[in-house]
Amino acid sequence: MSASGEREVMLDVRTQDMELNMGPQHPATHGVMRILCRVDGELVTGAQPHLGYLHRCAEKIGENVEWLQYLPYTDRYDYLAAMNNNLGYSMAVESVMGIEIPRRAQMLRTICAELNRIGSHLIAFGTYGLDLGAITPFLYAFREREWMMALFEKICGARLTYSYIRIGGVFNDAPPGWLSEVERFCDVFDEKWKEYVDLLMLNQIFIKRTANVGVIPAKMAIDYGLTGPLLRGSGVNWDLRQDIPYELYAEIVKDGAFSIPLGSGEHGTLGDCWDRFYVRVMEMRESVKIVRWCLDNIKPGPIIAEIPKVLRVPAGEAYVGIENPRGELGHYVVSDGGKVAIRCRVRGPSFVNLAVLEEVMVGVLLGDAVAIIGSTDIVVGETDR
Amino acid sequence: MDFKGIHDRLRAIQAPGLLGADEPREADPEVEGDKGRAGDPFVLVDPQAMPSFLECCRADSVLSFEMVIDQTATDPGTDEDHFWVNIQLLSLAHKHRLAVKAILPKSDPVMPTSALVHKTCRWHERECAEMFGITFEGHPDPRNILLPDDWDGNPLRKDYEYPEEYHGISCK
Amino acid sequence: MGILEKQFDENLLTTKVDWLLNWCRLSSIWPMTFGLACCAIEMMAVGCAHHDIDRFGAGAFRASPRQADLMIVAGTVNFKMAERIKRLYDQMPSPKYVIAMGACATGGGPYYKFGYTVVKGVDRVVPVDVYIAGCPPRPEALLEGLMKLQAKIQASSVIRRPARTA
Repeated sequence: MSASGEREVMLDVRTQDMELNMGPQHPATHGVMRILCRVDGELVTGAQPHLGYLHRCAEKIGENVEWLQYLPYTDRYDYLAAMNNNLGYSMAVESVMGIEIPRRAQMLRTICAELNRIGSHLIAFGTYGLDLGAITPFLYAFREREWMMALFEKICGARLTYSYIRIGGVFNDAPPGWLSEVERFCDVFDEKWKEYVDLLMLNQIFIKRTANVGVIPAKMAIDYGLTGPLLRGSGVNWDLRQDIPYELYAEIVKDGAFSIPLGSGEHGTLGDCWDRFYVRVMEMRESVKIVRWCLDNIKPGPIIAEIPKVLRVPAGEAYVGIENPRGELGHYVVSDGGKVAIRCRVRGPSFVNLAVLEEVMVGVLLGDAVAIIGSTDIVVGETDR
Repeated sequence: MDFKGIHDRLRAIQAPGLLGADEPREADPEVEGDKGRAGDPFVLVDPQAMPSFLECCRADSVLSFEMVIDQTATDPGTDEDHFWVNIQLLSLAHKHRLAVKAILPKSDPVMPTSALVHKTCRWHERECAEMFGITFEGHPDPRNILLPDDWDGNPLRKDYEYPEEYHGISCK
Repeated sequence: MGILEKQFDENLLTTKVDWLLNWCRLSSIWPMTFGLACCAIEMMAVGCAHHDIDRFGAGAFRASPRQADLMIVAGTVNFKMAERIKRLYDQMPSPKYVIAMGACATGGGPYYKFGYTVVKGVDRVVPVDVYIAGCPPRPEALLEGLMKLQAKIQASSVIRRPARTA
């Protein structure tokens, strides 16, 4: 008996950490990825992501097919935001070529990129709810996403992998009635957005599961090279559309048409999973504002610059980074003046964002581990390329 | 700051390993076969001094390159005898970028690791190592990252030969 | 069916029993959550309200292969993943079916020529029942593939002995 009167029990129990594989086939890893967790009961003591289960040799293919032929491959790395991938690659090649893009093409590119951002964040929203056990938000998210995909189908013929934004502009003009349908989508989406906020973001169970979980301090985020909602969720005000603007974003920022949502530790600690989720949900609304600005300012005109059918890019190299829904998507292209690239490097934001799991997932319970993986919003096509 | 300002500052603080810069230029009609160079300028750095160069870029308050955005390598062709190692730097405070290039000989592609300076380089260097065969000395975890552990060869080299079969599954 | 499988001659009774067993099987094919790449997003869209795979009885996506009948290989298969696919296929209980969804699972897809780690078709790893073309196939195409699989199951003989040709 100890001094306070409680009975002390000495147990000769030796426990051993267990190695648990999450994936590659797993309902909550957002694709084929394997996380080797070392667990002590329910507590995760170490986590090691293993990649490569979807490595599709995109960079080698870039060195073997012609410049214009590479475009469909760009759709397929971040397949949830294919328009943004097309845009990044086209901008990198256009940067080496030094050509001007017609204004209407830039407007259409911006509309499509922002609509795709909404679609990508809808999936992030829906699947995050699914990971944590809420099935309804997933069905609601896909309702709007189906409409968005129908819009894209009208303008370019494809639902998921568009190859719409090409080197020099876009390949097809908006059919009659498309722009007014986009405006109707924006009006309806603003109403539905409020539903999403009530259903999941301000849901007490969701807040309990995501607040104070997976805190990424700003210094850690910068050290790991994180970008996108992960960086903004930690309170760092960095968005390429505002800070190193490309295409029309310099004008849009000057007009004050949209703002950058940042995490603020409202329901927990700054940089937790709830903050990152909050950034994504608010960004959907900001994207609608950008689309409205484009709809107000778009005018008729040419949609593509003069590009020869067999494109030879002048010798040189360029790196262009754009703001993908997941972070900075960078393309580094090197040309020697020929029909085929010498190097076509893709800097996938999910690849860089995933590395932080090695540090953030230590010392959490298994249920929280699922919440943390979901909040990084990775797409394995981009991690593995 | 534009590239010229960044390059002048690097020279002023005597950044370790700085060898020079390369800016876009028109084709020189005097030189035969010269195609000129389009695109972005970059800074040439000695690969053996890369970690100290990166540390210096981060520490200097005028440059303030806190983030390594990308680290990769390039094989410029089978008739070239060197690799390029390309690093893209980003400054959040001053909103400027810098492209850094280091030249490594193909016969001995060894350079010190930058993973101890910037944590993001850990995974980027693992990918360079398996794709090109570059060795990063002092790397804390030099395993394959995207390829299977027993994969033969370095795929992104220009002289890579595709395998015939792997574990009983035909590659053809 | 164990010892009753393929033991009986074909007559009116066994045909009706087989019809009933096949109808039960084809109306409740439970797929495994096995999306690999972009086709997985279209598979998720099929699972949602607009295209609704649940009206075919196939809406219960099971995470564990031991509870699933159908493996929809949706996406590119590469060598690192191929061994895991074989293992998952082996873990599924019979009768099991595989749908190769999309160009990559059917024959390597756009990565056929220069993809060094891409397996040129999942049928080099597991036996496939239905192939669906497309990159990615529309959700309606996946539903048609499912209906073709249902037709294949309908035509199978469970307790009847298959007819001998010679």
